[in-house]
Parts: sequence; structure tokens; C-alpha cells
Amino acid sequence: MKVQLEKSYPMPASVDAAWALLQDIEGVASCMPGAKITEKVDAQHYKGTVAVKLGPASLSFRGEITVLGIDAAARSLHMLAKGTDSTGGSAASMDLTARAEAVDASSSNLVGTAEVTMSGKVATFGGRVMGPVSDQILGQFAANFAAKVQAMQAAAAPAAGAPAGAAPSPAAAAAAEPKPLNGLALMWAVIKGWFSSLFAAKKP
Amino acid sequence: MGDLSDLKEREDKLQGIGTSLARKEDARFIRGQGQYVDDIKLPGMLFGAIVRSPFAHARIKGIDKSKALAVPGVAAVLTADDLKPVNLHWMPTLGGDVQAVLADKKVCFQYQEVAMVLATDRAAAYDGAALVEVDYDELPAIVDPKKSMDKDAPIIREDIADKKEVGHGPRTHPNHIFTWEAGNKDAADAAFKSAAITVREEILNPRVHPCPLETCGCVASFNKATGYLTVYMTTQAPHLVRTVLAMLSGVAESKIRVVGGDIGGGFGNKVPVYPGYVVAIVASIVTGVPVKWIESRIDNISTTGFARDYHCTGELAADKDGRIKGLRFSALADHGAFNSHVSATKLPAGLFSICTGSYAIPNAYARVDAVYTNKAPGGVAYRCSLRVTEAIYLIERMMDVLAQKVGVDKAEIRRRNFVQAEQFPYTTSLGWTLDSGDYHTALDKVLKAVDYEALRKEQAAKRADPNSPTLMGIGISTFTEIVGAGPTKVCDILGIGLFDSCEIRVHPTGGVIARLGTMTQGQGHATTYAQIIATELGLPASDIVVEEGDTDKAPYGAGTWGSRSTPVSGAATAMAARKIKDKARKIAAHLLEVGEGDLEWEIDRFKVKGNPAQAKTMKELCLVSHTGNLPPGMEQGLNAVAYYDPPNLTYPFGAYLCVVDIDKYTGGVSVRRFYALDDCGTRINPMVIEGQIHGGLTEAFAVAMGQQIPFDENGNHLGNSLVDYFLPTSMETPHWETDHTVTPCPHHPLGAKGVAESPHVGGIPCFSNAVIDAFAHLGVTHMDMPHNAYRVWQKCSELGINQRPGTPCG
Repeated sequence: MKVQLEKSYPMPASVDAAWALLQDIEGVASCMPGAKITEKVDAQHYKGTVAVKLGPASLSFRGEITVLGIDAAARSLHMLAKGTDSTGGSAASMDLTARAEAVDASSSNLVGTAEVTMSGKVATFGGRVMGPVSDQILGQFAANFAAKVQAMQAAAAPAAGAPAGAAPSPAAAAAAEPKPLNGLALMWAVIKGWFSSLFAAKKP
Repeated sequence: MGDLSDLKEREDKLQGIGTSLARKEDARFIRGQGQYVDDIKLPGMLFGAIVRSPFAHARIKGIDKSKALAVPGVAAVLTADDLKPVNLHWMPTLGGDVQAVLADKKVCFQYQEVAMVLATDRAAAYDGAALVEVDYDELPAIVDPKKSMDKDAPIIREDIADKKEVGHGPRTHPNHIFTWEAGNKDAADAAFKSAAITVREEILNPRVHPCPLETCGCVASFNKATGYLTVYMTTQAPHLVRTVLAMLSGVAESKIRVVGGDIGGGFGNKVPVYPGYVVAIVASIVTGVPVKWIESRIDNISTTGFARDYHCTGELAADKDGRIKGLRFSALADHGAFNSHVSATKLPAGLFSICTGSYAIPNAYARVDAVYTNKAPGGVAYRCSLRVTEAIYLIERMMDVLAQKVGVDKAEIRRRNFVQAEQFPYTTSLGWTLDSGDYHTALDKVLKAVDYEALRKEQAAKRADPNSPTLMGIGISTFTEIVGAGPTKVCDILGIGLFDSCEIRVHPTGGVIARLGTMTQGQGHATTYAQIIATELGLPASDIVVEEGDTDKAPYGAGTWGSRSTPVSGAATAMAARKIKDKARKIAAHLLEVGEGDLEWEIDRFKVKGNPAQAKTMKELCLVSHTGNLPPGMEQGLNAVAYYDPPNLTYPFGAYLCVVDIDKYTGGVSVRRFYALDDCGTRINPMVIEGQIHGGLTEAFAVAMGQQIPFDENGNHLGNSLVDYFLPTSMETPHWETDHTVTPCPHHPLGAKGVAESPHVGGIPCFSNAVIDAFAHLGVTHMDMPHNAYRVWQKCSELGINQRPGTPCG
């Protein structure tokens, strides 16, 4: 079960700030809902966990992240994340290339292309909703990333005259903390996304 | 005495052959008093849960048991390394291969058994299994069997990569299992060269699963003090399993007892020996306490005994009138990661060579190439003797393809090619001798019953009307089955001939106990066998008890599968009863002071010819046989054992007709009518037969209309729960109309042939033929199963007939 994803999310921060955060693997991981880096083996190898709660079932993936390449000129990061559910019944891997693209001085885009592969029960039972679920997870990730990069930028240059509205709120900072993915909220978001895509398609 | 009403009354009392006696076993089942394997609870019993692979193909780098062992209640975690010291981490299969009991360094299919967690209760075992951490290194998987023998294909079975053969002749690739051939290729090729008409079609029998209501499981109990091993298990062949267990475990076969108990459906799924059984048995031998292992539904559909997965090509050559001159059938067989396909030693492709069907085909050639893929092993029967469904599906589909090419009616093409009634026994060009049949009579009876001409007229009118919202299809299947394996000269499993046995003991007051080597899974054996004995011995069926499945009690037999119980064990039962009757005749002659030749049998007694008042009833003889008043030198008792080695298989047949209406806009197929005429020779219990036919037709409907086990490109199983896997309920199942003719089997002592498989084997092509016939006027010659609404709708869409008139596109 494979899914190809190509996503672009607007970031309310300069391309340099976004790129700075993107290189911080632990910082990036903390933006992933439910994810945690448990061990830094070396600069290229990390160990971590991702917890997803779907109703009564808790999936807890543990695995490894390998940084395959960092291209400073293109502000691009290539990494491979691989994990197995600790209940043994499922496995997932993601080959991700993410890069920061400048829009203007204070905004940028976070662009990601990924191939997600799933095996085991998660593929059998989750295959049908994999596309929308991935969308939701990545959407949450992007929101967390945006909040974090903004907070970083504000902390780094408090006097630089950042727009008042863009100041990091405590809530946004808190959102960056890892939490297990909430299955009900996720499902609601998937259903909402599906409905809006239906109506979007009907627009002339 | 002797008047007609008296005779009838006596005969009715017996409830013997030909009576629709209510099934004796049902009183227990409808009260919820069945004793299934999961009902067995032994003191101190541990429960085993299996840790399974999420990958279809991966190396195992390490297994960490520590977290699992910390779970309260978990007693042990077994892996291949733990089974190695007793040399049980691999086991031989029934297909001549070996199979990993627990994955040894590598997993070769998704959900493969990697470890077993033993705990004091089921919940703790599953909790523990969830915490066994297995470190995998994923490898590329082969899912499409057509790619198995590619030059650069990954080697699935490194353990046998260098082996020149795995039980069935030379291999040409590490992923090749065997190539099997039958018939005369040169003669068949010549027939094709000179033929006026040839047709060719690629036809898939998709991977399906029998999915019995009860999943597989066992309770193994080894007594360290006595050295006795008792295994309660879901098995269709307890004696064969006992032999396999003796070979595997080294425990003397006399100290192993296998008990079948009640079985909630088998359909072939419960013939093989699965890793779960073996690990539970080893665990019990090691720990000295009983161990229970029961599959979940997901385990059952994903890992135990799938069926089919034959990727076939059919070719027929005929003269301009459609008279067949040659047949070339081939199949690429996907056997999964281990060849645990259940087959007789000499028949690696089962009975596929029955593929000439009911037709006189002078030149035929069949070939099967079997390969490994990264899928679960198996290839069991699914309500059919091995590969008969695939063979009959192919010929019955190809008859329709030929009819369309020649331009004749699909009933007529069959009539032109049938083996004629006077040609029996008829030896086919692939070597089987069809025992008896009357195919024309059967087909004509069905066509008349449904008013075939009127149906074709209605269809023609619908086809002529572009505004008709439905397509109408008429499917015909005139199949010949091959059941009752089998003659020991052709059929054996692990060297043991497929004879069967019956032991009958008659008690002084006329009660009878019969023990057999077969194993009922719902076929009504307790009733059918009792009726055979009732008629043979003149004792009432109600007083006859049938016992099967406990190897300590029953004589040796090959079990129940492939509709072999009536053809083989039914015959053994009649033969054992006849031995008893012969002895009873001697006693009667002694008591009546006449010669044996002066006696004649009448329903329930021997009477003196010409002096009917002089008679001895069987009941009287039962008592006398336990006294001293016997002919000189005769021992007491009325007991007998018979072992029956059938001289030939039996060939039941039938003519089925199905009418479907297809909604052009949704693809929904509705079965308007299904008329099934079966000929299984002598009919022992018409009601049991009808029940078997209903069940077989329902499973045929399931396969044709919805069942399939799909995989994604990485070998992920995409249909292993009842959310995805189609099991028809009374809501979906069509109404069945049944009929019969009786053409007795000439070599069976009762003339009976076996019936339970026929409706499945004959039903599947009948549904497919009906669905495809609905599209025949649009040039369609074949559509692969399953014919679910989505797939049928796709065909409508492809043909551009799925738009309502006057509706704009989009």
C-alpha cells in the first residue's frame, strides 16, 4: 500500500527561518502530531516514536529516521522514516523530501513530496482512508511547524519589528508539543475534508 | 405376515436408504450442545497467541521477548530458535515441500507465524503477543505469479534455492515448484492445426478462501507421566494427522490420540497441518500442561488454506459445426510461499485432468506450472476435490466461448459434444474412466422445466430494445465431477492409500455402533451411514449410533474431503454390514435347520423360501449371536470391520441453468432463477442431499459473485475480515430449485457417487456463464470473477451502455 503525496504549505516566516527549523530534526519531529525523538544516534540517525489513538486502538510506531541528504543551496532535506507498530501487526515508512521556498521577505512555502508505504493491519484496514488521513496529519504538522517557526523567528529577533498579529501566542507554542493523534478529531477532519472536496469539485 | 401394508410398515420403521430422515445430529446442535474445540477447557491450560509478520517478505534481524515476558500471566514466548533443539522449526507439508513452523530468519508472506506467546488466559497471551518486538529488514515481494520466474525475481525460498526438485520433478527457477503435464501434446497440436475453428481465452480463478464459520484451532495435552499426547483439533482427517504428528514429534503413533469433535464447517480448510497446531503441541510437550490455540477470523482468512489462484488459458479446436477436435488447457498456479497444497503424491495438480468435462474430446493436453509467491501457502480444496473447480470452470466457460464463435445455441453446443449414454464407461483422452452418465437426458429435463425457448425469446426481445434498463443472461453448466478419492493405485497422501474403513458392532438387543475413519463437518454422516446400515441389516436407523473422529476409537481412514465419504466410507459401511449379514444368515440357517441357499432376505429378516412363516428377524439373530446356540465352530458376536479400496473414482454430474437480470446503470446482478439438476447415483437421504446442494450452490454464488482475496503490490492482504470478504447471508442468497436423475455408479456397492461438491463445482461456471451471456450480443466472450456490481458496472461503462437514455453525460 503506497501513497504519493505532494504538498505545499504557506509559512508566515522568512525562508531562512523555515530552513533553519527544517534542519533541526528533533524540532521537525516535535511538529509531527504524536511524534517524539527518543534518541539521537548521530547527526544522520535518530530513533523515535509516533502514537496514534483510533478509538479503542492505540498504535504506537517506533522506528528510525535516517537523514539521507541536506542540500543547503536548495534548502532541501531528504529523509527516510521507518517504523513498526509495537503491536507488531503494522509497519510504515515514509521517504520524504522537504524544502523551504521563499515567497517574500516574511513568508515562505514549506514544500514536501513523500512516498508513504504501509504494511500489515494498518494497510488492510486503513488503506481506503490513507490519502485523507495523510492530508490531515500533514495539515496538523504544517500548522505546528508554522507556529514553531514563527515563535523561533520572534524569539531570535524580538526587536526586528515583526507584525503584531504574527506574534506567537502561548496556545500556538503549546500546539507544537507532541500529543497523540486524536482519532475522533482526525476522523471528523477527514469527513469534513471529504465533504468539502465533494462540493469543491461541483463548483463550475 | 407378508402382505404389502405389513412390508411397508416394516420398511418405514427402518428409515433406511431413500428416506428423508431428519438429521440425527441436529438435536444437539439446535440446543447449543455441540462440543467444538474452543469449548474444551482442561485444568491448567495455557493459551497461545501467535505473533505474525506485517511484511510479505523480510529478514528477521532480531526478536526481543523481554517486554512480552513481563506481562502478568505470560509464561513463555516461543520462536524458531526455541523449536530448533527439537528440530520442529520446519515441518514437511502435504505437497512434498517443507514449511517454517515459526519463521526461521526470514518471513515469506504477510501474517506468517513468527512467535507464539503462551499465557494463563487468552487476553494475557494477546497482550504479550503485542509486545514481542521483531526487528525486520524488508525485502522486495513477489505478488504477481507471472513475475515469479523472471530472471531477476527475488528468491523467496532461500532454504531450497539449490534444490533440483521439491517433490514433483525438476525445477527450472528457484521460484518454480513443479510442472505437470497430461495428455498428448503432439496430437492436440495437430488437431489445432487442421481445425476449422479455434478459440482461446485467458480465464482467472481468483484466490479465495473457504472461510468456515468455525476457525481452526486445537487443544494439545501431553501427559509427561504416561507419554500420551492427546490433541483435540479442527481436522477433516484425524487419522492422517495422527500419522503426520507421529512422524513430526517422534511420539509413537499408538500414544497419540487425535479427536475431531464437532467441526463448524471445513470445506478443505481443515485438511492441512498448520503451524499453530504444531507449536501448541510442542509447547504442551515441553511444559507438560495443555495448550490451546484458536485462530481469529483475520488469522483464518490470511494464513490457513486458501483455494484456487489458477491463472488459466483455455483453447479449443473444433470443426465448423462446433464438434470439438482438440483441447489445450494450461494454468499458472500460485501456491504461495510454501507448497502446502494438499495433493495425492502422484497428482501435484490434483484432478485438473478432469478438464475434458462431460465431452467426448479426442485430443487433449493439459499443463500446470506451479510457482512460489510472497503469499500465504495452501491451495486446498474449497468444496471440491483438488483443482476440479478450476478444470470444470475452464471447460464450461470455453464451451460458451466456442458456441459464440460457431454461432450456435449454448445448449446445442453441449449436446453436440456430450459423451453419449451408451458410451459409458468412457475413458477420456486424459485418462479418466467416467463410470456412468446420461447427460442428454439431464440437460433436456432442465431445459423443459424452465421453458428454455421462451427464455431465449424474452432475451432476444430485450436485446432488441435499446431502452431496456436491464440485460438478461442465461447460463448453462453441464458438468461432470470426479469424487471419491480414491483408488490406492492412483491416490495416496504421504504414501498412505486413500482407502477408508468402517467397524460395526451389533449389540444383543439390536443396537448398533458404527465407527468410521471419516470426519463429519456438517454433512450429516451420523444420519447417512445409519441409514445405509439400517437397509443392509434390517435394524432401525434410530438405534444405530455413528462415531467418527476419535483415533483411539475409529479404524484408520483418510477423512472427509473431496466428497469421498459416501463413495468410499459409505461403501466400506455397506461391505462391513454385509459381512455381518452373511454371519447372521448362517445363524438363521442353523436355527431354522435349512441350508443357507434356502433362505431369502426380506427387509429385516431371513425367511425360508416357499415357507414365509418360517423366519428369523435380524433382531432375534442379534440376541442369538450372543448365546451358545450357534453353528458348530462359530464364534459369538456380530461384529465386522471393512476396509474399502475403491476400484475407480465416481463421476456425479448435473445440468444447471441460471437466469440473471443485470441493471445496466448500477451493474447489480440479480439472480432470477437457478435450476439445479444433480445426478449422484443412488440417493441415500434425499433431504441431506438437498441440504448439501443448497450449501454448495450458496458457496458457488459466493465465489462467482463476490469472493476474492486481493493483495496490494507489496503483498499486503486487503480482504481478511468479514468487512471485506463476502459471505452471503439469506439476504443475498438466491432461491434454489433442485431436481435429480438417478444413474447408479456401477462399481459402488450401493450405486452412490457423492454429491456435496457438485453444486459448487457446477454452480460457479453457471453463474459466470449467465453474467457473460448477458453481454454476449455485445461481443463479450469472457469476464473474470467475481461479478460484483462494481466490476459488472465497469464492463457496462466500457461498452458505453450505462447511460440512461436522454441523460446527458457527466
